[in-house]
Amino acid sequence: MEEKIDVEAGENPFQPYLDSLRKVLEDQDPIFIVGIIVSLAVVVITFVLLKYFISSKTVQSAVLLVGLSDSGKTLLFSRLLSGKFKKTQTSITDSSAPYKAKNERGSSWTLVDLPGHDSLRPQYVEKFKSAARAMVFVVDSAIFQKEVRDVAEFLYFLLTDSAVYRNVPSLIVACNKQDITMAKSAKLIRQQLEKEMNTLRVTRSAALSAQDGSAGASVHLGKKGKDFEFSQLPMKVEFLECSARGSKGEDGEADIASLEKSLAKL
Amino acid sequence: MLDFFTIFSKGGIVLWCFQGTGVTESFTGPVNALIRSVILQERSGNNSYTHDAMSLKYKLDNEFELVFVVGFQKILTLTYVDKFIDDVQLHFRDRYKNELEQKGALALLNSHFAFEDDFKLLLREAEESSKARGPTSMRSFNASLKSQKTVKSMIETKGGDKGKEQGGKKNKNAKKEAPAAEPMKGEKAKAPASVQKTVENDNQGMTQEEIIQKKREEFIRKRMGAPVEKPSKSPKPAKEKPKGKEKRVWTLGGCSTKELDYSQSNGNGAHAAGDQGLDAQADPGLQLSSMKGDLLAVDYESSEGDEEMEVEEEDVVKRVVVADTSKKIPKKGAFGGMFGMLKGLVGSKSLSQEDMEPVLDKMRDHLIAKNVAAEIASQLCDSVAKKLEGKVMGTFTTVASTVKGALQDSLVQILQPKRRMDILRDVLDARTQRRPFVITFCGVNGVGKSTNLAKISFWLIENGITVLIAACDTFRAGAVEQLRTHQRRLNSLHPPQDHGGRPVVQLYEKGYGKDAAGIAMEAIAYARNQAFDVVLVDTAGRMQDNTPLMTALAKLIAVNMPDLVLFVGEALVGNEAVDQLVKFNQALADHSMSDKPRLIDGIVLTKFDTIDDKVGAAISMTYITGQPIVFVGTGQTYNDLRSLNARAVVGALMKA
Repeated sequence: MEEKIDVEAGENPFQPYLDSLRKVLEDQDPIFIVGIIVSLAVVVITFVLLKYFISSKTVQSAVLLVGLSDSGKTLLFSRLLSGKFKKTQTSITDSSAPYKAKNERGSSWTLVDLPGHDSLRPQYVEKFKSAARAMVFVVDSAIFQKEVRDVAEFLYFLLTDSAVYRNVPSLIVACNKQDITMAKSAKLIRQQLEKEMNTLRVTRSAALSAQDGSAGASVHLGKKGKDFEFSQLPMKVEFLECSARGSKGEDGEADIASLEKSLAKL
Repeated sequence: MLDFFTIFSKGGIVLWCFQGTGVTESFTGPVNALIRSVILQERSGNNSYTHDAMSLKYKLDNEFELVFVVGFQKILTLTYVDKFIDDVQLHFRDRYKNELEQKGALALLNSHFAFEDDFKLLLREAEESSKARGPTSMRSFNASLKSQKTVKSMIETKGGDKGKEQGGKKNKNAKKEAPAAEPMKGEKAKAPASVQKTVENDNQGMTQEEIIQKKREEFIRKRMGAPVEKPSKSPKPAKEKPKGKEKRVWTLGGCSTKELDYSQSNGNGAHAAGDQGLDAQADPGLQLSSMKGDLLAVDYESSEGDEEMEVEEEDVVKRVVVADTSKKIPKKGAFGGMFGMLKGLVGSKSLSQEDMEPVLDKMRDHLIAKNVAAEIASQLCDSVAKKLEGKVMGTFTTVASTVKGALQDSLVQILQPKRRMDILRDVLDARTQRRPFVITFCGVNGVGKSTNLAKISFWLIENGITVLIAACDTFRAGAVEQLRTHQRRLNSLHPPQDHGGRPVVQLYEKGYGKDAAGIAMEAIAYARNQAFDVVLVDTAGRMQDNTPLMTALAKLIAVNMPDLVLFVGEALVGNEAVDQLVKFNQALADHSMSDKPRLIDGIVLTKFDTIDDKVGAAISMTYITGQPIVFVGTGQTYNDLRSLNARAVVGALMKA
């Protein structure tokens, strides 16, 4: 006991207080002091255990908005949370906010908007993937034809990730920018993606291993021998159409009813 | 005059924007370009950027995660912009502190920032202040300092000794001309300038050695004598001038022959304050101005010891002063001192430049020790400093850990490819379009182009792709034979019987001394006819400042328009990497005819097995070009081909 007190403070101003404290404690029964120490230890252990249990409950309570750069994630984020239209620029960091789902239970979880720029994507996905209970993959439907290979590669990267494979978060593919006339439908996008993922399965497995020996993902998507289909995946996949900008542009409402419904089902 | 001004959060939401009168086009494009090329590529060292006709200046606020961008026409030179951005930033922060401090994006989404009036006020103030200063008017002759000098002082004499700074510049005179003071003062005592000239010419009659000796003595004597003498000497020349011609006093020579007798001792104290110099003279083995004999050991104790003593005294005085003040602080706040240490760990403390300075210097040296090019290491550290300035540190984090973490993130970000890199996928695409996929390898001599070309063709044929190798190295002896040997070995590993009767690898060569661009064009046409999937073009190694060869390479690439131009660089290269890549890119850009010249698309990093963890070359190369590292060569057999793992490389870099 005395050593503890000595270690705590070696400064002069503390000395008189410590002397008096020491005297008070020495007057007490030693068993009493032992009792105090034991109770303190119990409190600390309970605290640690509680924290562990609480954190394990909230470990998967985030819904991630992912996608390529310029696909409309930040605007969708703004519309879902506040309904307002905001001008956006390329995101450099993630933004997160609690979201109240529109269902009877009124469940609320965290909605996280990740940046889509190529150099930032991998590290932010790495940071948030274990906390994801669902992922909203936002696709720019208007320029999909040109970007189909990049979209497919990112989706492949997400699906073959080991953490995703383990937690199996549900996947919602939101085909954004439907207000533009040349936008492709969700069904078409689904078909194109399935075809592309089929080819990617072959080329990605033939890719070179990294220089320190660590190979790429060894997860094989879908069933061997058969063409790839999204229904073969272990997680729930849903394709829907939406428009974050809305048909009336800045002033009107966004056309995200189907997205909100899907989010409510989570 | 400003085109636009935006304030947006780092998460991408625009909080407030202002568009100048008469500007109709949206500013999202230029700002996005700014973000992509500067901030994300870690070039935020200097804070301006030009995009087409517009010039953009920006400022990062790291405490509240905001970015302030102003854009104006490039042709205008507005002087008030930097200070203006700073003012706006401070104003905005003060006004909206409450909303900005809340965590989470909800506050930013829901609040409306009505900053118009403040902004207009600040803009008006800034514009007025820039107009107020106006051009500085020239001084009249009387007001200038030159009119205070005498004519004699400004006459330059031959031999380099300028007898200037007489009249008004007494103090300056004393300090500047300390070593040469003595003889000069003796000369200045003589009246006419012409005599001065001749005297000075005579001065030069002495040999170099003697001048050096003399000056050395003066210097030492000056140091030995009290500094008080300095100002006293300077009024002397002014007084002595009207006296007339005075006898010249030679210091070494003395006034009598007795003083010239050095046989007794090593000189007296009077004119041998330079024990040093006389010792040097007496030393038989030493001959100063010739290359013979031993060099005099540099004795910092004796001659410069005097000077050092003086300097040291000053330092000691300074140090004592500093120690006193620092001692006072702990006495007052001994209680607070202990808590102050804890406070440094816990609680919010915002990072300033001074805090980060020592850590960044150490990091810069560490990076350079790991073979990152020197200018790239300093640019990286500047960029990290910009990103962290003003940021509030979390609890129990030290400055060093924050800076290290930020540096690690930016290194990983640099190494991530900016676009998709899947060669097999593109090859399959080209196959469906019935055209060959052309890859060109370029680089300086001896980096491993032919070896890695063979490794890549092995990888390709393992995946069922037919390859045509074009031997466009028509200069080096044995280049064509080397490729032929590779072709034979690869064909024996994958015999034609297994692949439908046709050889998987073929070599297209036209011998030596021919034009490389022509051979490449014929090879591509041949591949198209024979339905080869990939054409690998091997070029001769060339130094980056060899202009005719660079022109030839640029012509090859411009004429044949390959799908992929790979620069092969070895991992052992240090600062050279920067020069090589810059000059290669420059040559490719200059000599192409089209608007969009084909530049280097990817990098092959070779000889990776020779470096342990000095992997800095990877950083240098990707930083300079912005292109990803596509292949990593780790040996000389066919299997030694890898892809880059950014995390592993950064881990090796940051390892102590």
